[in-house]
Amino acid sequence: MSYDASFERLPISACFDLKGAESALVEWIGAEVLPEFPAKANRCCKADGVSLDHVGPRHWLLHADIDREGELNAALRPNEATPEVSIVRVSDTMTTFRIAGIDAAHVLAIGCPLDLHETAFPEDAVSFTEFFGQKALVRRCIGGFDVSVEQSFGDMLEDYLTRALR
Amino acid sequence: MMLIPCPFCGHRSESEFAYGGPVKPDRPDPHTTSDEDWVEYLTTVPNPLGPVQERWWHVKGCGTWLTIWRDTRTHDIVEGPGDAG
Repeated sequence: MSYDASFERLPISACFDLKGAESALVEWIGAEVLPEFPAKANRCCKADGVSLDHVGPRHWLLHADIDREGELNAALRPNEATPEVSIVRVSDTMTTFRIAGIDAAHVLAIGCPLDLHETAFPEDAVSFTEFFGQKALVRRCIGGFDVSVEQSFGDMLEDYLTRALR
Repeated sequence: MMLIPCPFCGHRSESEFAYGGPVKPDRPDPHTTSDEDWVEYLTTVPNPLGPVQERWWHVKGCGTWLTIWRDTRTHDIVEGPGDAG
């Protein structure tokens, strides 16, 4: 059986790992840099090409195109952050696969235990889970899902997806 | 498969979690406790037939450590006595 889906490995994007109380992060970074904080767990808010994902208690990921990494780094000042917050540039630690097509959810279901029905995993949902045994960040994209895994597992996941989509 | 209730993510598959061992009683003072009690604390793992309190780590999810009561006969996650859970 083959699936009506395809995948591609996306180019690197800017990503910053933010930890701390929401108020402390806003105080350090400034509200004008960040999108609105998501009100619910495992949801994201987007504004001006920047996505803020609420991925854990007092834990967010800030995503943007790689050409904005320098600008965001200057605004976030990770090396000077106060002890109340932790800001780490993690752009090069993750690699992202875009799985798209009518059967994209079926391909995800091979290796991911999440309920991906749109009632449980809506458009603004984002969550760490597992995918083919690896910790993975899953989010929706147009026509499918983006799955990010640790960079060192990228080739392995590419192999798994190639076999799954044969 | 168990569905473990994560306080941040909601119910998630057991495969996203790592077992953190049973909840043990408070560590006794090794200077005042007997050798027998000290060895009991260090080496005896609770293994009841019925509910046992356990720690689990949502390692592939949000990273939260949580405590649940699991019935060893059914693997059901059950209400614990008192305010645990």
